[in-house]
Amino acid sequence: MFIEYSPENTLLHRLDVRTKMLGFLGIVIFSFLFQDPRYQLLSMTFTGLLAFWIKIPLRKIGGMLTPLIPIILSIILITGFTFAPERFVQASSQAILFYALPGDRLGVTGGGFLMGTTFMLRLFSMMIASSVLTLTTSMDDFTQFFQKMKVPVEASMMLTTAIRFIPTLDKKRRLILEAQKARGAKFNDKGIIGPIRSYLPIMIPMFINSILMANSLSMAMLNRGYGLSQTWTSLREIAFAPRDYWAIFIIVLSLTLAIFVRFRLHLGIL
Amino acid sequence: MELFENAIKLNNVSYRYPSAVEPCLKNVSLTVRKGKFVVLMGATGAGKTTLSLCLNGLIPQLLEGELTGQISVAGHDVRKTAVQSLARGLGLVLQDPETQIIGRTVEEDTAFGPRNFLVPLEEIKRRVNQTLQKVRLTGYHSRLTEELSGGEKQRLAIAGVLVMEPEILVLDEPTSELDPVGRSEIYETLDDLRRERDLTILLVEHSLEEVIKKADEVVVLNQGEVVWRGVPTELFRNILLLRQFGIKPIPVSLIGWDFYKRGWISLADIPLDIPSAERLIRALLPKYGHCQWLEQRKGQQKGRLLRKRELNQSEKVSAVQVSDLIYQYNSGRQALKGINLTIEAGEFVALIGQNSAGKTTLAKHLKGLLKPTSGNVLIDGMNTLQYDTSQLSKTIGYVFQNPDHQIFSVTVEKELEFGLKNAGFKGQEIKERVEQVLQYTGLERYRSVHPFSLGKGERQMIAVASILVLKPKLLIIDEPTTGSDWSGVQTMMALISQLHTAGTTIIMISHDMDLVAQYAKRVIVLKDGSVILDGNPQEVFSNEEILLNSAIVPPQLSRLSSRLKDVLCQETLIEPGDFMAMFESEGKTKCL
Repeated sequence: MFIEYSPENTLLHRLDVRTKMLGFLGIVIFSFLFQDPRYQLLSMTFTGLLAFWIKIPLRKIGGMLTPLIPIILSIILITGFTFAPERFVQASSQAILFYALPGDRLGVTGGGFLMGTTFMLRLFSMMIASSVLTLTTSMDDFTQFFQKMKVPVEASMMLTTAIRFIPTLDKKRRLILEAQKARGAKFNDKGIIGPIRSYLPIMIPMFINSILMANSLSMAMLNRGYGLSQTWTSLREIAFAPRDYWAIFIIVLSLTLAIFVRFRLHLGIL
Repeated sequence: MELFENAIKLNNVSYRYPSAVEPCLKNVSLTVRKGKFVVLMGATGAGKTTLSLCLNGLIPQLLEGELTGQISVAGHDVRKTAVQSLARGLGLVLQDPETQIIGRTVEEDTAFGPRNFLVPLEEIKRRVNQTLQKVRLTGYHSRLTEELSGGEKQRLAIAGVLVMEPEILVLDEPTSELDPVGRSEIYETLDDLRRERDLTILLVEHSLEEVIKKADEVVVLNQGEVVWRGVPTELFRNILLLRQFGIKPIPVSLIGWDFYKRGWISLADIPLDIPSAERLIRALLPKYGHCQWLEQRKGQQKGRLLRKRELNQSEKVSAVQVSDLIYQYNSGRQALKGINLTIEAGEFVALIGQNSAGKTTLAKHLKGLLKPTSGNVLIDGMNTLQYDTSQLSKTIGYVFQNPDHQIFSVTVEKELEFGLKNAGFKGQEIKERVEQVLQYTGLERYRSVHPFSLGKGERQMIAVASILVLKPKLLIIDEPTTGSDWSGVQTMMALISQLHTAGTTIIMISHDMDLVAQYAKRVIVLKDGSVILDGNPQEVFSNEEILLNSAIVPPQLSRLSSRLKDVLCQETLIEPGDFMAMFESEGKTKCL
C-alpha cells in the first residue's frame, strides 16, 4: 500500500517539503471544488503526469488499485441510485435515466452516475498524489516539516521510532512463529475462538518482547540525553530555493483560478 | 584535584530491586582511577548489570528500589544529577544493541545524543565523522541501521555513546551475541580508543581471553559483593579461584595448572597465551616427557576409526540425508549452494561458520521450517517436502537461540505441555513426560513458577525442556550457550552430552570453538552456503588456514598443537588431557 521513498534527483525530489505539502493540499482542494468528472479527469491527468515524470513503478500503483475495483463499482452504483434529482442544479443531471423498480420507483439519475465517477476519479488522484509525495520525500523531510509546523519533538520522535522498529518487530514475529512451529503449533484451528486461541502462542511472546524492548529503548534514550531540553538540533535546515517560490506561485495561481471558475463562472457543478 | 583523580567512586553501595527479597548489590565499595581499563567479571546474577545501571543514574532515577551508599561519577553525585546530564560524563553501552539504535540511518542514529545536547549542526557533523571512523564504520553514514550485521550494530551502539564525548565508557557485555569476527572487531575498537585518548573504560564481561593483557585491573563480583580485585594475570592463573567465581579459565592455563599441581612449575609460570605455553611445553618435554605416548595415542585412534566403521554398517536409515540442497531467497541470492550431507543416528555434530554462512538456514531445512528450492532433505527417511514441521516434531527437535521467543505460558509446567498437546498426547502421558523432563533438567522446583520470573539460564533450560518432552531422536540446538556464564554453559553442555550418550543425535550450532572441540565428535564447517570441511574435530581444526579464511579462529589448544607440530608428529590435540598424556603421570622418569 505504502510507496516508499526512493532517493533520486528530480525537480520534485529537490522541492522543499513545505512546497510539496502545499501542492498536495492544492490538489485536494481542487478535486473537492468540482463535482464534474471532467474536472476530476483534469486533476487525475495532472497527477498522473507527475507520477509518469518521476517514474513511479506502475505495477505498484496497479497493485494498489485492483483490490479497490469492487468498491469503486459499488460506489458508482450506489450514488447512481441514491442521489435524488433535487440535489443537482443542471437539467442534464436531473434527468432520470431509468427506474429500477416498476411504478416509477428507485430512479437512476444521470447526475448520480457522474457523481460516482467523480468520487472514483477523486480517489485515484488522491492515491497517485500521495504516492508521488511519499516517493519523493524522505522521512527526514517529513519530520522537518512537523518541526516547522511546530509539532512537538515528541510527536516526530514517536513517528521515526515507530518506523525504525517496524522491521525489528517483523523479524521478532518471524522468529517467534518459527519457534512455535518447531513445537508443533498449528495455525488453522476451526471455529470462532479457534484461530484466536491458536495465535496466543505468537501474540503473548510478541507482547512480552515488545514491552522488554520498549523498556530497554527508554533506558537507551535517557542514556543518550533524550529529554534534557525541550528541543533538539535539527540535522538539516530546510530552506526555500527560487524553484520553491516559483512552484508556490504556480500552485496559488491555479487554485485562485479554480476558485474563480467554480464560484464566479459557476462551472464544474452537476 | 583529589576529586578528579577517581573517575568512578562507589562507597558502601547496596541496592535492592523493588520486588526482590535479597539485595542485588551488597556494600560495594569501588574506585576506578582516571584513564584505567577495568574489567568487571562475575557469574550471571552477580550484579554486574545492576552496578553499571547505578553508574549512569538509571538506578535510582528510572528504576526504583532501595539504594544506599554514595556513588559519584566524574565528580557528580548520581542521585543529584539527571541521567541525561550524567550521560555527558559517562557513556553506558547497554547489552542489546538492537534496542539502543534509535535512528533509521547510521548517521541519524549517531547524531541522536549530541542533538539532545543542542550541539550545533556543524559540530555534530564533525563529531559523527570522527566517531564513525573510530568505531570503523567510516562510509556507513547513510546505511539503514536495520540492515547492519550484529557486529556493526554493536559498534554503532558504541558510537552512539562515544559521540557524546564522555570521559568514562562503560560497556555491558558488548560481545555476548557476536561471532568471533564481530568480537575481535569490538576489542580492536576498544584498543583504538584506549590508545587515542585518556578514556576510562569499565568493561563488563564474563569471559575474556581477548582482553587479558589489555586490562589494568579485574574486579570480580559474586552475589552482589566485590570478592576479588587485582591484576588479571594473577586471577587467571588461579584456577581454583576461577572455579569458585564461575569464570571460564583460559584453555592453555589448564595445562599449566596441571604442571603446577605436579610441582614442575611455579604459579607465576602458568601460561596464559599460546607462545608461552609453547615455550613451557618445549622446556618441560625433555625433562618429564612420556616415551610411548605417541604409540599409545595412535592405537587409541585406530580403535576409534574401527568403531566408526562398524557403526556405519549397522545403520540402515540415516538420521539426516541431505542431497544437492539448494536454497534461494526471494531476492535471488543463494543461501545454500548444493549441500550433500549424511548424518548417522547417534552422532554429535557441530555446525560452525561465520554469521550468514548458512548454518541456521541449513538447520531450518532439517526441521522443515524451510523447504529446499531444489534437492532433498530426508529426516529419518521422511522427505521434508512431504511432511510439515508439526509432523516432524516428534522425530526432530529444534531449540532456538532466544528462549523468550517461545515462552508464553504462565507456569513452567504448562510451557512444557504445549508441544505435547500439539502432538496429540493426552492426560496421563503428558503428565508423566513433563514430570520426567522436569526432573531430568533440574527444573522441578520451578514447576509452577512464571517462566519470566526466572533468569536467562533457566529460561534457556525451559526452552530445551519444552523440546525434550517430545523425545525427539534428533536434536538441533542453535547457540545453546549465548549469554550464559561459565557454570550455565557447563550445566547445559552436561545435559546435552547426557542426551547424546542416551542415543539422541545432536546437531549443535555454535561460535564457541572450545565447546565444539570439547564435545562434538564431528565438525562441519560452512562457508557461503557450502560445506568446506567435514570431519572429526582434530582433522577439521588442523586446517588452520582454511578456517581462518572462513573467519573461524580454531580453539586455542589446537592452535597450540599446530605450533608444536614437530614434537607432536602432525597430531592435533584439542583437550588439556591430551597434552598431559605427553608427560609421565608420576613425574620424574626421564626417557628422552
